[in-house]
Amino acid sequence: MEKILAKEKLRDWVASLQGCEVHGPAFADAVWNYAKAEGDIDLRHTNTVGSVKAFAFPQREVFFRFEHKRGERPSLVPTLPEPRPTVVFGVRPCDGRGMPRNDTVFSKEFKDPYYWARRDKLILVGLACIEPHSPNCFCQAAGGSPCSEEGLDILMTDLGDRYHVRGVTAKGIEVMERGRDAFKEASGGDQAAVAKAHEAACKEPQRTFGDLVAIPDAIRRNFEAPLWDEMARHCIGCGICTFLCPTCHCFDINDEVSSPGKGERVRTWDNCQFPDFTLHTSGHNPRDNLGMRLRQRVSHKFLYFVENHQTQQCTGCGRCISECPVGIDIAAVLERVSQS
Amino acid sequence: MVNPKEIRDYAAGLLEQGRVKSVIGYRRGTAGCFAEPCTLTEPGEAGSLVWDPTCLNNLALYLVKDRKQQAASRTPDRRPIGIVAKGCDSRAVAVLLQENYFKREEVVVIGVSCEGTGVVDPRKLKNSLKGRSALKVEFGGGESIRITTRAGESELPAREVLADRCLECREATPKLHDVLFGESLAERGYDAPFRAVKAAEATSGEARWATWQHHFDRCLRCFACRSVCPLCYCPECVVDSTSFVITPQTSAEEKANRIRWCERSANTAESALYHLTRAIHLAGRCVDCGECERVCPVNIPLRLLNTKLEMEAFEQFDYQAGRDYDRPALISSFRDEDPNSFIR
Repeated sequence: MEKILAKEKLRDWVASLQGCEVHGPAFADAVWNYAKAEGDIDLRHTNTVGSVKAFAFPQREVFFRFEHKRGERPSLVPTLPEPRPTVVFGVRPCDGRGMPRNDTVFSKEFKDPYYWARRDKLILVGLACIEPHSPNCFCQAAGGSPCSEEGLDILMTDLGDRYHVRGVTAKGIEVMERGRDAFKEASGGDQAAVAKAHEAACKEPQRTFGDLVAIPDAIRRNFEAPLWDEMARHCIGCGICTFLCPTCHCFDINDEVSSPGKGERVRTWDNCQFPDFTLHTSGHNPRDNLGMRLRQRVSHKFLYFVENHQTQQCTGCGRCISECPVGIDIAAVLERVSQS
Repeated sequence: MVNPKEIRDYAAGLLEQGRVKSVIGYRRGTAGCFAEPCTLTEPGEAGSLVWDPTCLNNLALYLVKDRKQQAASRTPDRRPIGIVAKGCDSRAVAVLLQENYFKREEVVVIGVSCEGTGVVDPRKLKNSLKGRSALKVEFGGGESIRITTRAGESELPAREVLADRCLECREATPKLHDVLFGESLAERGYDAPFRAVKAAEATSGEARWATWQHHFDRCLRCFACRSVCPLCYCPECVVDSTSFVITPQTSAEEKANRIRWCERSANTAESALYHLTRAIHLAGRCVDCGECERVCPVNIPLRLLNTKLEMEAFEQFDYQAGRDYDRPALISSFRDEDPNSFIR
């Protein structure tokens, strides 16, 4: 399904989504991030600092509540989330491509009920990147495109005074049909304008790092090379790169006790760059330095995930580069690995 | 104006003469126009050193990292390290010396004066360029910053793009140094010290609490603020999942009975506990390098927490962290004239 939406009609489309939770980019506290949409949605965003993964995989998920009163049987209360349909506007194609990768992780060996309770209700409305939203974008080098539909339910393209809106999945088409009065039919001229805009978008300058197909071998070849230590030398071991990443999905599970015998079992994001991530109970840490941790993150994205799932796990959003406090640059790391 | 060549020559000399095992400085990064930290070990590498308003990092952090590495090493290398330091960075070095983290002869401070300006705030820069990226950012001389974009070169008043910490800076020239590059300027026409925290304090208690709840609620607990802080050097931290150092000798019982002061959940209460604990641990120690606030990916105004305590130390005890490395630290000293009205 292909339609045209005048910019001032976006409001009407959003208003038609009654019963759904609607989120969109918002500029607050000097950063773009997703927020609940009330009325208008501002789609002039660069990219949101947090990725869309949090809608299916929130930073904190309660698995169940438990209580054990003296002399009674312990009780467990399930807390499987039951969200309303959730429509997210302004998803960049790199984040869109992240979601099928996360879907694989949370379903291949074990279907994660918490993830899927949220994911099944999630509708992603993408916005093509007519120009790169950051100097560190590298979606094309990572096998994607600034107008990729992969993982999105709808793809919107900004044509100046109007959006071209393409329904990609059945879920997406249904959401478009709910707002049918806001749309007009796309003419042949509109289709030509979209094709031209997408073609121009793919020619915008982006970061590169050589041949994507050759990278797994390059990582294997350099597994013991000193370059990892050198490139991680100034890493501070914080969680920015993984927490902002659209595909990093490692987690920790803890029982959080609120009063004696009572509490919750929770899943929270974890991070392979934290020193305690691989700390064994014996005190031994198999990844006890920053070089090994950088190698792990890069290998997970560009080697292990390729071996296990036949695609890269990185989609080239560039957040880990732009937000790193000390200039660690995954594109530069890959380039160096390729050439070593 | 500081000529970066002088810094390069001096660093190369230190390495050539074997006076230091390495020099920590700034070089051009690969991700945009900002400088990144670098560690030089060969005189030939000194040509890569840069000095401009994109040298944001407080490199004193890497003195701490080296000390931790040497402590864990079977063959520790305790030769001195050279470090390029701005005024605020040198204050961090001074606090580390005061706290006996290392000895004076183990560090060679290559001081650089920020003169009439300082370093830029990347977010202010982005706003002033309406989202476009700068290709080059240089000192413009006096109180201006020269910016090059694809559209050409322009000069901006430094006030518009300088980091808040630089606007409130009282000592833009490193007092502690072995060599100093650049002019020492006492008077700078920017904001009065503690301007931002005083403005925040002028609001009501309820409004302040609402603001901080909003910010703590947004915290991702990536711990970048802690990881980047040169004075957050504890080998164990109460907020980590392993809140004590585990060794092969640590018994199962000790591990099972560990107290979890702070849960992993990034919710308002736990994140408030984390940030307030950190602020209190930096009372009388924080030198206002502003790194915690700079690195926060969601822009939590963390400087306010630390400058509040810095202001208390200054107003109550006439104490400025990092001003005099050879005098006792605030927390470990007592003078008869210290105010004690709070003891009842």
